[in-house]
Amino acid sequence: MVRQKQNGKSRHGPAEDRRSAPGADRHTASPSPGKDDLSRAALVVGLGASAGGLEAFTTFLTKMPPRSGMAFVLVQHLDPVHKSLLVELLSKHTAMPVMQAEDGTAVAADHVFIIPPNATLTIAGGTLRVATPAPPREHRKPIDAFFSSLAEDQEENAVCIILAGTGSDGSLGLQTIKAHGGLTLAQAGFDETALLGMPSSAAATGLVDEVLPVERMPARLLAHARHLHDMNDRKAPDGTRLDAAEHLAKICVLLRARLGHDFSEYKEKTLVRRIQRRMQVLQIDKFPAYIERLRKEPEQLDLLFHDLLIGVTQFFRDPAAFAALASEVMPKLTAHKKSSDEIRIWVPGCATGEEAYSIAILLKEAMIKAEVTPRVQIFATDLDEHAIAAARRGRYRKPLAGVSPDRLARWFVNDGDDYCVIKDVREMCVFSAHNLARDPPFAKLDLLSCRNLMIYLDAPLQRRLMRTFHYALRVDGYLFLGASEGISRHGGLFTVVDKKHRLFQRGDVAASLPSAAVGAAPAQRHPAAAQQPIRPSGDDVDLRARHAVEKYSPAYLVINRQHEVLRFSGRTGHYVEHSSGAASLGLFTILRKELLPAVRSAVQKAFATRQPVVHDDMVVAVNGHRKLVTLIVEPISEEPDAELYVVAFQDRGIVGGEGAAAETAASADDRVRALEKELRAMRQQLHSTIEDAETINEELKSSNEEYQSVNEEFQSANEELESAKEELQSMNEELHTINGELNSKNEALADSNSDLKNLLDSTQIATLFLDKDLRIKNFTPAFAEIFHVRATDRGRPITEIVTRLSYAELKRDVKKVLRSLSMVEHEVVAAAGGATFVMRIRPYRTVADVIAGVVITFVDISDRKRHEEERARLAAIITFSKDAIIGHSLEGTITSWNRGAEHIFGYTAKEAVGKPLAILLPQSQVDEAPQILERLARGEQVENFDAGRVIKTGERIDVAMTISPVLDERGTMIGASTIAHDVSERKRSDELRVLMVNELNHRVKNTLATVQSIAAQSLKGAADSKSREAFDSRLVALSRRHDVLAHGCWERASLRDLVLQELGPYQSENGTRAAVEGPDTGLTPKAALALGMAFHELATNAAKYGAFSKPRGRVRVAWEVQGSSQPMLRLTWTESGGPKVAKTGHKGFGSTLIERGLSLELNGSVRLDLDPGGLICTIEIPLPDGGGGPANV
Amino acid sequence: MSSDKTVRSGLRVLLVEDEIMVALLLEDMLAELGHAVIGPVASLGKAVEMAQSEALDVAILDVNLSGKEVYPVADTLAARGVPFIFATGYGNGGLRAAYRHLPTLSKPFLRRDLLRVLAEACPAKHV
Repeated sequence: MVRQKQNGKSRHGPAEDRRSAPGADRHTASPSPGKDDLSRAALVVGLGASAGGLEAFTTFLTKMPPRSGMAFVLVQHLDPVHKSLLVELLSKHTAMPVMQAEDGTAVAADHVFIIPPNATLTIAGGTLRVATPAPPREHRKPIDAFFSSLAEDQEENAVCIILAGTGSDGSLGLQTIKAHGGLTLAQAGFDETALLGMPSSAAATGLVDEVLPVERMPARLLAHARHLHDMNDRKAPDGTRLDAAEHLAKICVLLRARLGHDFSEYKEKTLVRRIQRRMQVLQIDKFPAYIERLRKEPEQLDLLFHDLLIGVTQFFRDPAAFAALASEVMPKLTAHKKSSDEIRIWVPGCATGEEAYSIAILLKEAMIKAEVTPRVQIFATDLDEHAIAAARRGRYRKPLAGVSPDRLARWFVNDGDDYCVIKDVREMCVFSAHNLARDPPFAKLDLLSCRNLMIYLDAPLQRRLMRTFHYALRVDGYLFLGASEGISRHGGLFTVVDKKHRLFQRGDVAASLPSAAVGAAPAQRHPAAAQQPIRPSGDDVDLRARHAVEKYSPAYLVINRQHEVLRFSGRTGHYVEHSSGAASLGLFTILRKELLPAVRSAVQKAFATRQPVVHDDMVVAVNGHRKLVTLIVEPISEEPDAELYVVAFQDRGIVGGEGAAAETAASADDRVRALEKELRAMRQQLHSTIEDAETINEELKSSNEEYQSVNEEFQSANEELESAKEELQSMNEELHTINGELNSKNEALADSNSDLKNLLDSTQIATLFLDKDLRIKNFTPAFAEIFHVRATDRGRPITEIVTRLSYAELKRDVKKVLRSLSMVEHEVVAAAGGATFVMRIRPYRTVADVIAGVVITFVDISDRKRHEEERARLAAIITFSKDAIIGHSLEGTITSWNRGAEHIFGYTAKEAVGKPLAILLPQSQVDEAPQILERLARGEQVENFDAGRVIKTGERIDVAMTISPVLDERGTMIGASTIAHDVSERKRSDELRVLMVNELNHRVKNTLATVQSIAAQSLKGAADSKSREAFDSRLVALSRRHDVLAHGCWERASLRDLVLQELGPYQSENGTRAAVEGPDTGLTPKAALALGMAFHELATNAAKYGAFSKPRGRVRVAWEVQGSSQPMLRLTWTESGGPKVAKTGHKGFGSTLIERGLSLELNGSVRLDLDPGGLICTIEIPLPDGGGGPANV
Repeated sequence: MSSDKTVRSGLRVLLVEDEIMVALLLEDMLAELGHAVIGPVASLGKAVEMAQSEALDVAILDVNLSGKEVYPVADTLAARGVPFIFATGYGNGGLRAAYRHLPTLSKPFLRRDLLRVLAEACPAKHV
């Protein structure tokens, strides 16, 4: 439902004066037909609700068809902090897109926009504007703010709806909507009256078009939109109906009949616009139907009346005129005033108070200049009570046109979107509702400012007002009028002070209050008609006839209710008597004294009854004759508000006197004369008393009016208090809500506080919170433990306390952190304990991102430090080890490579790391690696095996390797390390040594063979074969012992081997001839040689002479080692089964060799016993330390 | 001396030995035992030559000939089927593995040692 809309923008420029009372709405449209808002919404509906209005809004949305062509903007009182869930909540109730308003969002039809939290939402050019943050809570009127902008932006396409809510927000905005021709609705409760709170506050403005239950609002909006659409066709380009003019007169008559205000002289277009708007609201599109409605429902007239009175004025409107006022009038008003004096000013038609406040400011400035402090009362009145209410608030939207920055600063308080008039100025002004045309005026005024008001009034009313003003002003009081107003017809009443700026001064002319301005009678609308009866007719015959008859007709006077004489007939001279002093037209001042009582009573009777009063037989003394006169007082005007009376005297001729009557009359005459004299005196007295009473009466009326104004002021103050009370109630409600919120926040805070406390208590990291002055704010138990601080140390400067910390630059570091906002880290040592800490200083940021100090944490790194040292030591060992130490993964990839490895294998660490271990394996052993890794995987250590490896040059080397698994703390193998020791050198030298020993043995043997050969050659023929055999035998035995020793690498020789070597050749095949028993005992080479020699001699001897010389002879060799500290070898050689041996004295070479050799060389003892069974040789030799161990064979 | 009877006299024995005293001793002993000595030869080349060309029953080979090992001679003899005996100061542990099982004459030696190894190398039934 898209329609074309006349976007009739109306901006009220400075030249345009908007007034009310009796009202002038200068709403002239400046149409902008070129602007086409096809894409825009047909209607922009603003909905205002406070927190409780959600339900109403959901109901509204549920009932609203999604394709209405309207846009909806919800303005709610939201908590500024909390995220609103409205979008989600409302989306469930309508098919229209619901979104939170953002700055710059174009208001599109069939969309719902929601005010964001903590923001002021307005609309301009069909686009939403979001300003954050919102003003402080006490000034927050988001609904007013939005409605005001909506009114100005959308004019008659604006709709505002006040939904449930507390307070009065929205009421002001609603007035603006209304002023711009928009529709205003408020939510009704179940009883069809406005809900309490915002809807009732809105309804109280009287500007709500309809109070409806929320369910019926969508239908109402649709009808409104439809009607608006239909009407567009019948409008002139300026938006006024073409057929309106003819019906205006009837409407004006109806208005006047009901309200006494005549709008017939208003600008036609203004009237038409206002009336159209009312018709729009009522959805009536034909004027006759509307007129019919007005007749049937008189309250519609009241509503129309209200609409007609909407108006706005401006501060210091027409600056030159105000300047003149300031320079011409104000100094005179303030001159020579004492503080007991009073300055009284009246501003009728003050509208929303700008003019009154402007004058107050000027007066205040003049008072300061003149240094006087009189009492000041500025009565500011207007017909429109709503305007008065606004004036009383003294709060005006920014920007304030016409007010200089100096005055703004001096006389206004900047308050959010508004300027407020300061209290001093506000208190000078008394605002009240007052009908200038009907209500009595204020009196004794020093200044009366009535600008641009009378131009809207017709001439008679203007004249009456001028008289009223004349009455109200004191002598020399000033009158300040608008630029196009003047005093032309009342030149006698006022003198001109400044013609250009319309400043006048009241002359010293007796003043009286125009009658119409006094009583409660409605304003005189047609005074011309009232005068008609006494206006001479233009008919010539009539005129002459009247002249002819005149001398026979009674003399008469025409008076009004104020006893002023308006007309004299020609022959009133008999009845009228001009007294000396100021000229007067007052009936009772010009009437002859003797007529006064009778005329007064007749006039009063006629005034009271409005019927003719005829008084016959009145005797009047004329030229010494006594004449009989008939007095007639008759009302001649039908107009109830402009009563005129004719006072006629009909001459009935001279009273005739008979003789008797004259005589008796003579004495009586004296008495009568005396009485009449007395009566005259009484009458005079009475007359002046009556005049006094009338004057007092008039003054009382003025005072009464003043009291009424003051009373109204009190009432308005009372109303203000009431609304303040309401505001307090809603504030209280808000506070309750906030309190609830705070409670839940408090709980949340308590929770997080508890969490925080537990965190602080359980953390092992010593933490210290300092403020900017290095004072302790808080610390963890771990910190208290290390630095011995107590809870009572909170608030003390850290520099006083932390003596255990051997770190002097703390203060400087904290300053640095606060300046750079970056972390500072140091290693510090706690002086006493010697524990090492890492101290980190970080800025302390509050939740609001304010730096409020620093946080210092201390992490104990003593263990880490030890580990680091240990690690460094191990690393040095690894680095500088001659052995290759290679780390590798389980897959065999090299991960580390020390210098030893570089040295041994030739690869640099760079080359080796990342390569497989297999690069070190010779081609033939490539499959060795997986086997080793497999063993490792089983957790085995592969220890100390020799292996061949290939180095970088391709050369092959021998290494001794140990491969150990590397386990993590859970015992899972994460890699392996290989230690390889280069053994090529050792191997070579081992081989060389073996080679040399073998060579040496060979050499020795060869040498022995050579000796044998030499002996054989030398002794050829010289010695017997026995001797040669013995020699050979001993030489070979020596050679065999040599073998044994060579076998033991010249370190150890086996005793058993030595024995078996010698006994071997004699052993029988079944092994019974020679028995060898004893523990395996190792001998030093020296002992082995000596013992071997002995065994050889014993065996040779046995073969020659002993047991081995007989087939059944046997030899048993047995030994044992005794003692442990000084081990002794004890060996016995026992022969048996040999031939009987006789003891010989000859001691042979053999026995000498045995006995002496062993005792000399080995410090042992030998005993040779010749037993009958055979030889027994007992040998005891000490074994050197360790010599008793097993032979290394 | 029961072993003497198992060795027949008159064997042609190649003697390879680079030390004169040892060579003399062996010559004497072999002569006493009634064998004919071919050599002694001290150089390896000549020894190989003779091992190929001479008519031989057995050979006694010194393992170390001026730092050279005598195995080429042994190989030649083995190829001809001539038995041989190593004479060495190293004992049979110092021999090449293939020859370790053969009879060895360990220096210095007794006459009976010589007889024993000859008997082992040239058993009587063979002779």
